[in-house]
Amino acid sequence: MSETRPVPVPPPSAEEISTACDYCVVGCSYRVWRWKVGAGDTAPRPNAAVPWANPAQHNIVQWQGEPHHVLVLADPRAKAVNPRGNHSMRGGTLAQKCYNPENKTRERLTTPLLRVKGELQPVSWETALDIMVTVSKHVLKNHGEHAWGVKAYSYQYFENTYAITKLALDAIGTPAFAPHDKCANSNDAAGLDDAGLEAFAPAYEDWGACDVLFMSGTDPFETKTTLFTSWIMRGETPDKTLIFATPHRSMGVAWAEKRGGLWLPVIPGTDTLLHNAIARVIVERGWQDQAFIERWVAKRWEVDQGYGRGTRNTPWQWRTTWGTWQSDWEDFRQFLLSRDEHRLEQAARITGVSAALIEQAAELLARPRADGSRPKASFMLEKGNYWSNNYMNSASFAALGLVCGAGNRKGQVIGRGGGHQRGMISSPGNPDWLSPEKHPGRRKKPLNLDRWLMDGQLRFAWVFGTTWIGAMAASDELERHIARLTRDSPHQPQQATVEAASAALIARADAGGMVLVDSDIYPVEPLGTRYADIVLPAATWGEADFTRCNGERRLRLYARFCDAPGLAQPDWWAVQAFARRMGFGDKFAWRNGSDVFAEAARHSRGTPYDYFELVEQARREKVAGHEYLRRLGGDGIQTPVWRQGETIAGTVRLHDPLTRQGEPGAFRNKLLNAFNTHSGKAVLLKTPWNFPGWSEFYAAVQPRTDKQELWITNGRINEVWQSGFDDLRKPYTAARGLPQMLFMNPEDARKRGIESGDRVRVSNDTVYVQTGMPLGVAEAEMNFDALLAAGHVRVTQGSFEAVAVLDPGMRPGVAKAGFNGRGSHANAVSHAVPDPMTNNYRYKLGRGRVERLEAAAEKADLTAPSLKPRGLA
Amino acid sequence: MHVHDEPACQSRRDFLLGGGKLVMLAAAAGITDAVWAQRAGHPPLALARLSDLKPGEPYYFDYPQAGDLNMLVKLGVAAGGGIGPQSDVVAFSTRCPHLGGKLRGTLQAEVQVLGPCPRHLTTFDLSRHGVVITGHATASLPQVVLELDGDRIRAVGMQGLVYPEGGRHV
Repeated sequence: MSETRPVPVPPPSAEEISTACDYCVVGCSYRVWRWKVGAGDTAPRPNAAVPWANPAQHNIVQWQGEPHHVLVLADPRAKAVNPRGNHSMRGGTLAQKCYNPENKTRERLTTPLLRVKGELQPVSWETALDIMVTVSKHVLKNHGEHAWGVKAYSYQYFENTYAITKLALDAIGTPAFAPHDKCANSNDAAGLDDAGLEAFAPAYEDWGACDVLFMSGTDPFETKTTLFTSWIMRGETPDKTLIFATPHRSMGVAWAEKRGGLWLPVIPGTDTLLHNAIARVIVERGWQDQAFIERWVAKRWEVDQGYGRGTRNTPWQWRTTWGTWQSDWEDFRQFLLSRDEHRLEQAARITGVSAALIEQAAELLARPRADGSRPKASFMLEKGNYWSNNYMNSASFAALGLVCGAGNRKGQVIGRGGGHQRGMISSPGNPDWLSPEKHPGRRKKPLNLDRWLMDGQLRFAWVFGTTWIGAMAASDELERHIARLTRDSPHQPQQATVEAASAALIARADAGGMVLVDSDIYPVEPLGTRYADIVLPAATWGEADFTRCNGERRLRLYARFCDAPGLAQPDWWAVQAFARRMGFGDKFAWRNGSDVFAEAARHSRGTPYDYFELVEQARREKVAGHEYLRRLGGDGIQTPVWRQGETIAGTVRLHDPLTRQGEPGAFRNKLLNAFNTHSGKAVLLKTPWNFPGWSEFYAAVQPRTDKQELWITNGRINEVWQSGFDDLRKPYTAARGLPQMLFMNPEDARKRGIESGDRVRVSNDTVYVQTGMPLGVAEAEMNFDALLAAGHVRVTQGSFEAVAVLDPGMRPGVAKAGFNGRGSHANAVSHAVPDPMTNNYRYKLGRGRVERLEAAAEKADLTAPSLKPRGLA
Repeated sequence: MHVHDEPACQSRRDFLLGGGKLVMLAAAAGITDAVWAQRAGHPPLALARLSDLKPGEPYYFDYPQAGDLNMLVKLGVAAGGGIGPQSDVVAFSTRCPHLGGKLRGTLQAEVQVLGPCPRHLTTFDLSRHGVVITGHATASLPQVVLELDGDRIRAVGMQGLVYPEGGRHV
């Protein structure tokens, strides 16, 4: 099963291009060797300067119209991020991502497409754009900006996200905007924000320098792979103790357990109780970092007044929850000690984590040593934590970390591990005040784009680089509505002319249907292949100069090294081409990507991704921003960037009072030295388990024993990136991967007559979908029971199929699927009822019956992918 | 278009892989292009006797060259490329194709797994041609092609490219 064409060796004349990986948050540094195909095109002897490469790391691409060899290898000279060229299977196969029509990348979109009589056919950019503009102008004039929406990735490079948000939020001014992973333009781990913690404050060296690391809702081995293998397994403290709170003992967890770490097999949804129970043990024994709390935790009067982030200005604190969350040390201590469910026995019963483990965790995190010194504890969370009890899990996690003295020192940090890289610079002018949703009180909520669509309010949607359907809760129900509003409309273009197609699509919008445009690099099933009216081909990594930050805010140029296929263009180009035809030419006049980069810099100011001073330095040196960044190579620079004399400097971590910054009189970014609150101190937040905005929903979504249901959660799988859009076209990753897996506890499987390699169907006949307009007025209206009683929760069904993999590392009662399986949507069984505090979906809390269908082809085929469990340490 | 059988191609330490016979393995579900595996013949090397093998016990040997350490094992379950009456005798390189980590001593015979690699924890399924179970190698673990001559097991070739000796330490 190894693809083993011999790999040509670059001659000494080969060009070297520095770049970084297109995939996960880690953003490993990569180096491309490129040389022309032709006579004498390889070195007669191995080139000592080039690491050994296997065929997955070689390809032949077009560059300036001529075939060129490329080797794409993790940079052996890297010192930051992936020292000495460590990598995962994902980045390790980047060469196979490159367009080469000899292989399956020939499936790349190369021309705009228009659906005529139900079938997609090629059209010119002019035709596609003119239809989009004609329809858009009509929709905006006759149905308003609310009816025109965008669903876009939030990570695929600053140039693109800035252009997209400038169009949607500023030029068009619509509140109908949502990123790839949320139903609304909200904040992920809102509890972290409210505590004053920036999600990506830590540097990778911090994760490497702690004595004990608590990871909630993630095994970084699975998707922050090099962060785990280079920094967490190693780093300054290679003997660090690891504690994982997750229902799945995957490889990182299993490895850590063998070395004295802990696996806390938490039942989905109960993390808040786990955090509070651990914190209670710490406080009962006096192990909290009192000196840190005295200095860095906001006192009562510091919480409750002033501008910036305090109670008054917290986006989601509203009249009826006033006083529910905010706290100071004394109040928080009382909260931990006084509540019954925080007692060890109660917490153990509800969370599924034994009392012994809870106590051990507390001891490892906070017990001072004999000499009085404290272990350096750090805290990492990810989606298993916050795509669950969204607000409370992240808030209680932050509180636990603060009690242990983490948040603003080397090796003592709190933050997200990350999924994607940080590639969003949002244009200003966000018309979120136009959202029709609001909390009880006066605060607005960001608009839930999925509900807006399902309720028939969206007449035009432009989608950028996301599958949408499989990534959202209640996927099957969402798909039914998308199909109804697009493919099933009687109004379909019958001719590929601007006049005829526009007329048909306008008639559809006026009749209550929706016009769908999908920009992507490959045909997206089913959004692009079945439902989109217009499909636009995008240029991707390697085909244009792009920029973004990785998970430790390291800004780099992702350099162009090959030609984009056919007529594919960067998304910022398509946005500009559309915008100019719409009459927004004064706002969209970029000559190239570097112009976009330079303009977006202004709106990065004051954020963790502030690179304004880099662009200013480039201007002083009379070079384009992209060129200046190109010179910084794979190390790039960590944002925020600040001016230091005649040059610039980066920032290792945020919130650290020891970080020097700036010159007298220069713009001071408070984030560098203080927490992101008006007082500069962190806020402890209470998280009462019986808060009805959570407890009513949680009671309703429990797996039902009479239906033999299990919790159906979902997560990332190391060797698969997102929907597998590249993996399916790379020979090795395609051959060794299954399209969708369901990891099951062996006893749960046995009871259902299921073996590894059996094809199974997972189904939930009661998938809740919230409907209508949440205009909260009275106290309990936004909670589940009241919504259901008022007819604002519809009951639907959802199901998906997978190949079962029996895994003793799966805690009983819980099964886990790949979160974005191609054509197999784990989210079909999760509920589209957002957390009322934040308007975020709770994807990880699906449930379902699991029934055996038949043996999959892979069960007996020894050349097929492996069916072994993942945590065989 | 590059022609692959020129001597200038980088091959594993100058072995003649360019002219090796190509063997087609099963196309993965949904993938229309078959994945070609290059099987290279090498001078045969006599290994152990089948009747001497104890299930689950590794037998190490160098092949094709000194320093290329491989592991032979009788798994007790049928395996891809396995020889013997139960098709359960297999042999694989012990150098991790990720970054050259040493897999010697990591056999988990009861689950037919080699690994986790001590460097970065990749595991390989010995019953399925050394495919990566979970981890970072961008190719399967190279498999030794075995033949049975009466009771004598012989190595006669390699399937897949072996990570060169002295793989970078990361």
